[in-house]
Amino acid sequence: MIEDLLTNKKYLFASGANTELRAQRNLNRRAVLLNGALVGNVRTEQFGVSARVYENGVYGFSSTAEYTDETVKDVLRAASENAAFLAQHAGRGKGPHKPMANGQSRTAFDLNDVEQRAYIEFIQALDGYVARKYPDLMSRTIVATADSMEKLLCVSNGTDGHSIIPRSYIYVMMTMAGADGKPVELFKVIGGGFGTFDRHFVRPEACFEEIDRLYDRLRQKAEGVYPEAGSKTVILGGTLSGMLAHEAVGHTVEADLVLGGSVAGPCLNKRVGSELVTLVDFAHTALGKPTPLPVYVDDEGTAATDALLIRDGILVGYMNSRETAERFSMAPTGNARAYLFSDEPLIRMRNTAVLPGTSKLEDMIASVDDGYYLLDTNNGQADTTGEFMYGVTFGYEIKKGKLGRALLDTTISGVAFDMLKTVDMVSDEMIWASSGMCGKKQPMPVGMGGPALRCRVTIGGR
Amino acid sequence: MIETIKKTAQSAVTALKNAGADKAAANVSYTITHEFNVDGGEFSLFRTLFDKSLSMTAIQGGRKGTVAQNRYDEKTIADSAKACLEAAASAQPDENWDFAPESGNQDFVLGEPKPDTDRLFDRCRELMAAVGERFPKIIMEQMIVSHKEIYSAKANSYGVLFSTHEGYYEVSLMFSGHEGEKASSFFGSGVVTDSLDKPFLALGSIEKDLADVEKQIETTGVSGKFEGTMVVMPGCLGSLFYSLLSDFAGEGGLLSGTSPWKEKLGEQVADERITLSLAPLDERIVCGNRYTGEGFRSENFDIIRDGRLNAFYLGLYGANKLKLPRGKNDSFNLVVAPGDRSIEQIIASVDRGILVGRFSGGQPASNGDFSGVAKNSFLIENGKIGPALSETMISGNMADMLCRLRAVSSEQVADGMSVLPYMAFDGITISGK
Repeated sequence: MIEDLLTNKKYLFASGANTELRAQRNLNRRAVLLNGALVGNVRTEQFGVSARVYENGVYGFSSTAEYTDETVKDVLRAASENAAFLAQHAGRGKGPHKPMANGQSRTAFDLNDVEQRAYIEFIQALDGYVARKYPDLMSRTIVATADSMEKLLCVSNGTDGHSIIPRSYIYVMMTMAGADGKPVELFKVIGGGFGTFDRHFVRPEACFEEIDRLYDRLRQKAEGVYPEAGSKTVILGGTLSGMLAHEAVGHTVEADLVLGGSVAGPCLNKRVGSELVTLVDFAHTALGKPTPLPVYVDDEGTAATDALLIRDGILVGYMNSRETAERFSMAPTGNARAYLFSDEPLIRMRNTAVLPGTSKLEDMIASVDDGYYLLDTNNGQADTTGEFMYGVTFGYEIKKGKLGRALLDTTISGVAFDMLKTVDMVSDEMIWASSGMCGKKQPMPVGMGGPALRCRVTIGGR
Repeated sequence: MIETIKKTAQSAVTALKNAGADKAAANVSYTITHEFNVDGGEFSLFRTLFDKSLSMTAIQGGRKGTVAQNRYDEKTIADSAKACLEAAASAQPDENWDFAPESGNQDFVLGEPKPDTDRLFDRCRELMAAVGERFPKIIMEQMIVSHKEIYSAKANSYGVLFSTHEGYYEVSLMFSGHEGEKASSFFGSGVVTDSLDKPFLALGSIEKDLADVEKQIETTGVSGKFEGTMVVMPGCLGSLFYSLLSDFAGEGGLLSGTSPWKEKLGEQVADERITLSLAPLDERIVCGNRYTGEGFRSENFDIIRDGRLNAFYLGLYGANKLKLPRGKNDSFNLVVAPGDRSIEQIIASVDRGILVGRFSGGQPASNGDFSGVAKNSFLIENGKIGPALSETMISGNMADMLCRLRAVSSEQVADGMSVLPYMAFDGITISGK
């Protein structure tokens, strides 16, 4: 655990300014098998301390990889000087942030830093199973990955914190020849989530069923078809609706992007979706259970609470830092987070999800005469206009209420606040995902989730 | 400082050898960053960062492990050497792992190592003022302008010892056009430069990009679906070719056996007017790598020369494993040879198509199929650039596309990282709602 060299430096914080001191350690462990060859075998650690000072409406920041009493003082001094430089040349004539209650949040625990051998041996067992059982594959890739962020935070006003977020996953990617001989591929995140690798992955055999399912789907895909291009009725599976919540809606309601001109600016308190759509960025608890990646305090010292973004189809809020919350007269909910010790906090999502509804998935599929059921995605991108795009890596045709042939890779797109208005059925079960990294100047682990949605989107076809 | 960094790299190699490595390599760096941020059109942040990095790789009995830290005191080096050997011990042996032999060590000084922070800030203010005056519909969502000073060294147990002391400025802009409640898509533009002699607006394609985005506030959709010509702007070409080269000519696609080009070295894979190089030593590239991550001296090389597949983008491991020549550098400083027609002439030759500024698409499949949304794009009809487009999808196949070249422009844009022309490809599926 990170030793506390910060609390006893509070006496150095300047009055009339907001100051944050943060010591942070990020660990990454990764092992990659490609066709049985270990092509990745890496352990990394990044550790250091940073200070940020808010003065006259602008920030100064400094960081260093050394963590000693002296370097803590050094970064504090440098951050103050940087704030003073910018305040002198581009200050906004503002005082400190609106004060909030002081407090403490301690959720850190001693992390079991799993030996590299454990990652390698586990994926070797999986690789052996795949190689033996599925010799017809053109290639197979199996990845074990684990990362963690431990943060010790000390602020001039707000909640001091000591937290840790570890997560671990296994990815399996398979490639086989399609009908035309060209490669067709599919990947799956197998198990994992919050916690260390040894907690999630005890017996390789426990992963075999998921691997078999992945292979079955790949076989279906290899014989699949391209969807017909155009505007279609689709059922978006939970993985895709979670991606929608994050990419297409979530980013547009980050308050810094609202200030940058996102579509959500003029839409506050207006209808942006059907009455069936409610969307929340959860902090640490969702629907009575811990979120995939719980956040209890952000890196500005704001105690984390849920951010209600869309309620019954009406856009009701943004995600904020302390600064933007004041601009929009909203309460900050703890969304300002930094990825590395050397990164400044930015407005980031935590666990963003569309809430489940009341429909049964089988009824939703049965209700579609001619459309598609879209299940997996390999990435998604969205614009500040709300226009979004996802790569769809697996799905089925729906013909007269029945699932048909599998789909080859395609793309769907739409405009979020138009598309959400077409949502007319929402399933009663939701799926969470947490293995991805959101990119916005800095990477950030995020959770996203959702139920199945029936809606209309534009599908790419070929 | 650079001597300290070099000694640290050598110490790390020695520590790995002492811990039992047959072969060892280390990279060490110290980076000082000065960075200004603008958010929502206003200056928001000034930061200074002092970062270290140490990466140590051991090969022992053909088993390889790598450990990376951001400290390099004596204890960290000793602990990392032990951890590195432990990681290697867990791997299975593979005789193809190796490092570069010593072939003439050298110390390099590149770019402008020391920052002029006051002048950098003045250039930032000048750009913000110019945007406000000349492009009043633009909101600068984010501007990040920085100077990086980097001391780095690479050493290995064959006696390789390279070092670099370099410095460069980076300008990264994210902006959109607005008029009332109407807005364009966001667009990113940027450059790397080692000089503050010119206003930022005059660098790369920044000025043209700002002008284009102001024209993208009003958009129209394409009705239906047609096959037409895709003219790709230089700023978009790099990301398309990155996917193509990774999947077709890179280690991943070749080792997995999924690359459609795996048996095509020396064969025609593209129109003969296409020559595509990775050229960190090109004079228009700022602070291009002088040596590779494996310790080889960098050389420029052509991946595609006159349409023929000339080389793969392989590291030493992939080259040994596949018994193919390795790539002569590991940068992605892409240089595409210019053509003999101006962009105006190319546009004039297109009956119906699309001028694409940004491609928002899924990762292209390993067979080269791609589909996605054409962002910051314009319709081309009857030889003229038409309205800006929204909700327009494009799809095709990367390999087929290279063989259906219409033209390469004589103009190139150099942004310090790449040198790229406009390229026009026929046979692309363009569809609207």
